[in-house]
Amino acid sequence: MKMKVLKGRGVASGRCRGTALVSNKPLSFLGGVDYTSGVIIEKGHDLMGVSVKGKVLCFPYGHGSTVGSYVLYSLVKKGLGPIAIVNQVADSVVVVGAIIAEIPMVDQIDIKQIKTGDEVEVDGTQGTVKVGGQK
Amino acid sequence: MHLTREEEKMLDGEYGWANQVSMKILVRLGELFGATRLIPVQSAHLSGVSYKHMGDASIDFLKALAEGNGKAQTLSTLNPSSFDPTYLTKCYPSEHLEKQSRIIDLYKHMGINPTLTCTPYYLRKPKRGQHLAWAESSAVIYANSVLGAWTNREGSPSALAAALVGKTPDYGVHQASNRQPNVLVKVETSLKNETEYGALGIHLGKLLRDKVPVFSGLKNPSDDNLKQLGAGMASSGMTALFHQRARSKKETLETISIETKDIKEAASGLCTTAETPNLVFIGCPHCSLNEVKGVASLLENKKVRGDIELWVCTSRYVRERAKNYVNIIQRAGGRVLCDTCVLVTWIKDLDVYSLMTNSAKTAFYAPTLNEVDITLAPLKKCIEAACQNGERT
Repeated sequence: MKMKVLKGRGVASGRCRGTALVSNKPLSFLGGVDYTSGVIIEKGHDLMGVSVKGKVLCFPYGHGSTVGSYVLYSLVKKGLGPIAIVNQVADSVVVVGAIIAEIPMVDQIDIKQIKTGDEVEVDGTQGTVKVGGQK
Repeated sequence: MHLTREEEKMLDGEYGWANQVSMKILVRLGELFGATRLIPVQSAHLSGVSYKHMGDASIDFLKALAEGNGKAQTLSTLNPSSFDPTYLTKCYPSEHLEKQSRIIDLYKHMGINPTLTCTPYYLRKPKRGQHLAWAESSAVIYANSVLGAWTNREGSPSALAAALVGKTPDYGVHQASNRQPNVLVKVETSLKNETEYGALGIHLGKLLRDKVPVFSGLKNPSDDNLKQLGAGMASSGMTALFHQRARSKKETLETISIETKDIKEAASGLCTTAETPNLVFIGCPHCSLNEVKGVASLLENKKVRGDIELWVCTSRYVRERAKNYVNIIQRAGGRVLCDTCVLVTWIKDLDVYSLMTNSAKTAFYAPTLNEVDITLAPLKKCIEAACQNGERT
């Protein structure tokens, strides 16, 4: 598969490589993700029942309580969280969550360009997401 | 964003992890919202206290901050918790109480004052024009609109970061140009009580989005009524600031007209039941001294029904100053609870199924946050319902 490079904005620094998990729906970490398992529990969510553990989590934007930032922190520290976040529009809850959890985050990315299962490389300093290429 | 040398050092971690991560939060949010610098704040007010809302996940982060040398650099206060010191401590599992105490202890360890109230302005009134970093949307809108202080609507982590750094990014309503009204709300009806002010707030919050409203037609509203108006707007919308009246009559702004039917519809739209309540709740936001007095005067020589609880929630500060009124309320069979409120505790576990309140904010949130039915009614009716003998007519 040919590699494509999506250019966005670096929100939280760091670089990592992993498998994408992509949703079309906004996500609330508080109440939306089970903080003891990393599984999405938000009713009606397209990833309901799916674990975010070890994934590059791609979704349009976050919503809901600012306490959600702490949920993201706790998930990552327990090894149950995503390894990077890619958003279309960064909202403050997810931004703060990524900063305190110390995982890379990029926004201003057209996430429709990424499919669940794609191998991606996220560079939170450069603000790029490389999709495909070598595993 | 331009940072001073001192701020750069913090960001590089020279003052420990807590300062570094707080600085990262402030700088990133500042960049996101177009700030060019950080400005000092006179106080920080933090939400994210109640164990019911925070859960276990937050404790990990607070612990890391406390262990990473986090210390408040400005006067910092805390929102309500899930417990009061005497009554609710006996109602829930001891594990909940331990977790709640842990959260409060971690904040205390960082030099944050456990005021446990959503009305920190009664304890210490901010001055006009002072920059603050407050979370708790009802306190934010009150500080901006009634007291004339300047604060954005902070979230739990950004208010905490501002407390530990003593600064906040300079954007939003910290800038005079963003405090100018850009929509006129013409109130063409007279608002009769605090509940109608709150209902107007809920109605407007849904329409205003990020606009700054200025009112015409508010007839000498009390600060308590403005508190209800603001709390309503901030609950159903994102409003952080309103102006009570126009400075000049020449302003030509987009106009929203409010008629009697708008208030009626907003109020009835918040009610989900006509059933007799089994909990009557006054004190969202926490009662002022005057509001506690108001409850007491209606309860004199009355008795709360045996099958209904009456809660009056306020801060410890106000409760101590209202001892005579507290005695009257208690003699009548009501409870005056401090450090907590209905929204941040587990009233469903107390078998509450139907809640009556004079607060539009509570009426807005309780059906989802507490999974109970709601009757919204002014204080006088709430007290009548709590005290009536036999069936409601």
